[in-house]
Amino acid sequence: MTDWLVMVVVTTTSVGLALTLGIYGTVVLDRVIGRSIAGEPLRLTRALVGPFQHAALLLLQQRSDTERSDSATWAVAPALLGALAAAALAVVPLTPAVALEVSSGIVYFGATMAMVMVAVFLNGWSANSTFPLIGGYRFVAQALSFEMPLVLVLIAAALPAESLNVADIVRSQDTLWNVVRQPLGLPLYLIAALGVSFLGPLGLPDGIDLAGGTVAELSGTALLLWRAAQAAVLVAVSAMGAAVFLGGWLGPWLPGSVWMALKTLLLIALMVVAKHLFGRVRLERFVVVSWVVLIPVALVHVFLSGILALRRIGS
Amino acid sequence: MVMRDAVAEGLRRLLIPLACRAPVRVFALAGVNSPTNIDDLRLRDDICLVDSPRSANVLWVAGLLPAPLQDSARRVHAMMSHPRATVWSRPSVMTAEHATLFPHATIVGPSEDLFEALRTVQRALLTKRHASDEALLPDEEPAPWRGVGPYGQGGTGMTGGVPYGRPMAERAPDRDGLELDQLPMRIGPFFPPFPSGLILDVRLQGDVVQEVTIAESLFAQGNVLSSGESQGDLLRDPFRRALTEPVPVGELELARARHHLRWLAHALRVHGLEALGRRVLMFVPALEPGKAGDILALRRLLDRIRTFDWSTAGVGILERQQLSGRGLGPVARAAGLSDDSRLVDPAYDKLGFEPLVHNDGDCRARWRQRLGEVIQSLALARAGAQPAGGAGSVESPRGVLRPETGPTPALLTLLPGLVRGMEWGDAVTTIVSLDLDVREARAASPVETPTSGKPAVERDE
Repeated sequence: MTDWLVMVVVTTTSVGLALTLGIYGTVVLDRVIGRSIAGEPLRLTRALVGPFQHAALLLLQQRSDTERSDSATWAVAPALLGALAAAALAVVPLTPAVALEVSSGIVYFGATMAMVMVAVFLNGWSANSTFPLIGGYRFVAQALSFEMPLVLVLIAAALPAESLNVADIVRSQDTLWNVVRQPLGLPLYLIAALGVSFLGPLGLPDGIDLAGGTVAELSGTALLLWRAAQAAVLVAVSAMGAAVFLGGWLGPWLPGSVWMALKTLLLIALMVVAKHLFGRVRLERFVVVSWVVLIPVALVHVFLSGILALRRIGS
Repeated sequence: MVMRDAVAEGLRRLLIPLACRAPVRVFALAGVNSPTNIDDLRLRDDICLVDSPRSANVLWVAGLLPAPLQDSARRVHAMMSHPRATVWSRPSVMTAEHATLFPHATIVGPSEDLFEALRTVQRALLTKRHASDEALLPDEEPAPWRGVGPYGQGGTGMTGGVPYGRPMAERAPDRDGLELDQLPMRIGPFFPPFPSGLILDVRLQGDVVQEVTIAESLFAQGNVLSSGESQGDLLRDPFRRALTEPVPVGELELARARHHLRWLAHALRVHGLEALGRRVLMFVPALEPGKAGDILALRRLLDRIRTFDWSTAGVGILERQQLSGRGLGPVARAAGLSDDSRLVDPAYDKLGFEPLVHNDGDCRARWRQRLGEVIQSLALARAGAQPAGGAGSVESPRGVLRPETGPTPALLTLLPGLVRGMEWGDAVTTIVSLDLDVREARAASPVETPTSGKPAVERDE
C-alpha cells in the first residue's frame, strides 16, 4: 500500500513538474524560433518573461460565452486535453528512478492520444458557432490519417525490446538508439506528433482561414487553459519520442533526467520549427498522402522491424 | 463568499503589474483613410493582433467606416470580452454619423502616437482607470426562441429554412450526389483573411463550399469611398495620382513592389506562416531601387520550403478566356496573358519594359507572379524621376485602375464560380490570391451572374 502511494505521489509530482516546465519551455522556444525565422532581434529577457505576461493578461480577461453554447462540455474540453497529456506522460520514463513500469505502456499511450480527438471536437462543437464547429470536424477528418502511422511506428519501436513497456524500450537502446536502428521511425513519428498536437502544417482545426477555428470563440482563462493543454500534448508526444527513438535517459556524463529533458526539448524545437516553416497543408491532400504513402511506409517499417527483431532473437 | 472575493481581488492585484507589461491584444477594423497601416502593427513587440475579437482587449478602428459597415462594426465590438476599449485612429473628415459610432472610443489623431495610445488604454483598462466599454447593442437574441425545451429541440419547423429567424441546415445533393446537410453562413465584412468590406453568403457541406454569393448590401450604396472620405487615401496612393498627373516611374514601381510584398506577407500569414510573413513585412520599408538581393533570397527560401507551393498548386485555376482584356493585372499575367497597360506608356516603352508572365493560372502562379514583379519593379525603379501615367488609367498592382473603378469588380464576378466545390481552406487561399479591394467595387458590378468558368469541382475531377 505504501509503495503504491509513493509511486502515485512521485509520478504525479514528476508529471506535473515536467508538464509545467515543458509548457513554459515550449512557449519560450516558440517565441525564440519564431523571431529567429522572422529575422527579428532575439530579446531573450522578453522571451523568458513574455509567457507570464500573456498568461496574466488572459487571466484578467472575462471568459466569453456564445448563444446556446454547451457550457459544461466547453469547460471540460481543456481539462480533458490537459488530463490526456498528463496521462500519456505518466507512462514515459523521465528518469530510470521515476519509470512507471506499465507492461502495455505503448498501447496505453496510443489510446490516450487517440482520445485527443474527443477533446478537440468537444472544444469546437460546444461553442455552438460555425468556425469552431468546422475546426472540430477538421480534426476528426484528419485524425485517423496520423494516428495509424503513430501507433504503427510505436509498435515497431517496441519490437526490438520485445516489450510494450516504455522503460524496457529505453533499456533496449543501450547499445543503439532506435533513431539509427529504425531510421524511418522518427520522421514518421514527428509527422504524426504534429497532427496529434494540431500544430503547424496539421494545425487545420485552429487555422486562420477559420479565424482561429476551435479557439475562435475562446477568451480569458479558457483560451489560456486550452493553449496550455495543447502545449502539454506537444510535451507528452515529444517526451515519448525522446524515450522511444533517442534513448530516453541514456547518455554519458549528465544525469539521466537531464538527458531526457534535453532530448525532449530537441524534439519540441524541431516541431516548433516545422510550425513556423511549413504552412498548413490541404486537408484532402494530407489524407491522400497519409493513406497512400505514410501508412504503407509505416506498415513496411513494422514488417522490417519485426524481421530484424526475429533474426536477432534467432541468432 | 467574502473570503473568495478577497482572494480573487488579491490575485488580481498580483497579476495586474505583469499584465500591464503584456502586448496589447488588438482586433483591427480596417476602414478607409487611416494614417496607420494594419501591417505596421504586426512588426511591433508591444502589440498582438488577434484573429478573433473574442480574445481582444482593444478594438482598433483604422480610419472611417463607411455606413454599410457600421452595424457590423458594432457587432464586432459586442463580441469582445471585458475589459474592453476602443481606440479610433481619427480620420481627417468627421461627420456627425461617425461621431456617434463609438461614443466611448479614445480618439487618436494623425499626428499622435497610436502605439502609445494602445498601450495606455490597455494599462488603464487593467488598472480600472478606464472603464470597460459598455455594450453598444442590446444584449438580446436576434430572434426569440419559440421552440420547446431549452434548445428548441421539440419545436416545429426544424427541418430546414429559417425558423424563427435562425438559419438551419437544409439537405441538398453534395458533389458525390449524396443528400447531405448544407450550412448557410455569412462571412465578413471584417473576416481577417479577406479585405475589409467583403461579405460572402456561403453554403457549406462539411468543409466544402457548395454556393457563394456576394452580399449586395455593401455595394448597393455605390462606391464605399465617398469623395470626402477618400481624399487621404488618394493623396497617399501614387497610382490614384497617376490617373490625372504624371508620377515618377521610380515612385510607382517602388509602391508596386511594396504592395506586392504586403500581399505576400498576408498570404503567408493566412497559410500559418506568421513568422515568414513578418520577415517579408520587414523588407517593405527598406526597399531600394535596383536592390533585390533580399527578395531573391526570399524566393529561394519559399522554393525550398515547398509546402507553400503544395498548398497553392492547382488551386483556384482561372483560364485565359475568363481574364482576357479585362485589365486584371497580375491575376491575368499569372495565367499567361501579357495584359499590362504599361506597354502603351511611353515612359515604360523607353525602359524596354516587357510584362512578366506565368502560365498555370492557379494560386501558386499568382504568388510567383507577384514576387517576380517585385524584382522587376525594383529594376524598373532605377529609372527614378522619369514621369509616367496621367492618361486617365494606370496599371496598378491589382490591374488597370480607372477613376471610377478598378479590377476588383471584374474579379468579384468570377469569384462565385471559382470557389464553388472547393474546400473552405482552398476557397480562402483563392480569394486571398485575387488581392481584392472592395473599395473599387461599384454598384451592380459584383453581383452579376458569372458568365464563364467551370466549377472547381469539375476541374478536380
